[in-house]
Amino acid sequence: MTTRPVKVWDLPVRLSHWSFVGLVFAMWYTSENSLWWWHTRLGVVLLGVLIFRIVWGIIGTRTARFANFVRGPSHIIAYLRGQHSKDANIGHNPLGALAVIALLSVMLVQVGMGLFAGDPYDGATGPLNGFVGVLTADMLTEWHEIFFYVVLGMIGLHITAIGVYAFIRMDDIVGPMVTGKREAQESVEGIASADWGRVAIAFVVAAGIALWVWFGAPPLS
Amino acid sequence: MNRFHTVRLSAITASLVLLAACGGEAGTEPEETAAAEAEPAVIEERQENYEAIGDAFKAIRGQMESGEPDFAEIEAQATDINARAQRITGYFPSGTSVDAGYDTEALMTIWEEPAEFETAAQNFVDASAALVTAAASGDAAAVGEQAKEMGGTCKACHDKFRLDTD
Repeated sequence: MTTRPVKVWDLPVRLSHWSFVGLVFAMWYTSENSLWWWHTRLGVVLLGVLIFRIVWGIIGTRTARFANFVRGPSHIIAYLRGQHSKDANIGHNPLGALAVIALLSVMLVQVGMGLFAGDPYDGATGPLNGFVGVLTADMLTEWHEIFFYVVLGMIGLHITAIGVYAFIRMDDIVGPMVTGKREAQESVEGIASADWGRVAIAFVVAAGIALWVWFGAPPLS
Repeated sequence: MNRFHTVRLSAITASLVLLAACGGEAGTEPEETAAAEAEPAVIEERQENYEAIGDAFKAIRGQMESGEPDFAEIEAQATDINARAQRITGYFPSGTSVDAGYDTEALMTIWEEPAEFETAAQNFVDASAALVTAAASGDAAAVGEQAKEMGGTCKACHDKFRLDTD
C-alpha cells in the first residue's frame, strides 16, 4: 500500500501549540524566579494565544475546528474499541479532542485567575486585580498557585499519551505537529493551507482582547 | 540537583515573604552563592514578620470592603501591625542583603542609607499607630483614609529598599 505525506495541521494550529509549550514553561520559570514584570506580560500574551486558538477553532481549517473533532461519548468508546480509521479521520481523534479541550480549559482558568491575582500594596498584580476585593484577590492568588499543579497534571497526561502513541502504537504524533504532515494512503485528502484573511481576523480579535485586558478592560475599570 | 535538595530549597524559598501575596516560591540563587552556609535565621524571621503584616493589612482592607467594618477587629489588626512595625529595623543585621546571596529582596541601600531606612520604618510605625487611633474612633472614613496613608508608607519603603520584581 503506497502512502504519501498529507497535510493534517495548518500553520496557525502548530504555532499556537508550540507557543503554549514555550509560554507555559516561561510562566512557570518567571514565577519561580519572581520575574513578575515578565510573568504578568507573558500571561497576557498567553491569554492572546488562547483566544486566537479558540477563534481559529471556529473559523480555521478543517482539522482546527472544534465542531469537526469534538465528539460525544459514543465516538470516544468506539475509538477506544479500535473502531476508528485514522486515515478516514485525519486530525484529532475523539480521545485527543478531550485533551485539546482539557488543556485549553485549564490554561484559560489559570490565566483567568492570574488576571485578578496579587495585591497592589505588595508586588505585582494582574491587570484586572482592581475589579475584585482584597480578600477575593488573595483567594484567587492562592488558587492560582495551587491550580498550577492541575495544569502540570494535564501536561503530564498529554506527554504520557504522546509516549504511548510513539512507543506502543508506533505512531509519531509529535512530528506532524512540527511539520504539519503525516504519511497517509493515496485516497486520503489533506487539509488546505490556512487562509490568511481568516488568520488576520483571529489575530486581530485575540490581540485586541488581550490588549484590552492588559489595560484593565476600559472603560469598565 | 537531587530531590531532597529541591525540597529543602523549596522550603526556604517558600518563605519568601515580601512577595507573600504573589506566591513566594522563588529561585535557586542560594545554591549558586551562599548555599554553603545556612541562611541566617533572621531573614526568615523578618519575612514572617512582613508576611503577618501583609495578612493583617489584608484583613483590615477586607473589613473595610465588607461595607460593615468590625472596628474592634480592625483595631486589633492595626495594633498587631504597629507592634510588628516597631520590630522591623531590628531584623536587618549587616550581611543579610540580597547581595550576600541570600534568598531575600533586601537591597544594600538599607545599610548604605541607614538614616533613610530608619525614617521609612518610623513613618510606618507612626502611620500604623494613627490607624489604631482611627479604628478606635469607629469613623469609617478616617479608617479608610489612614489605611491608604499607611499603605503608602509600605510602598515608599519598598520602592527604595526592596528589590523590584515587577
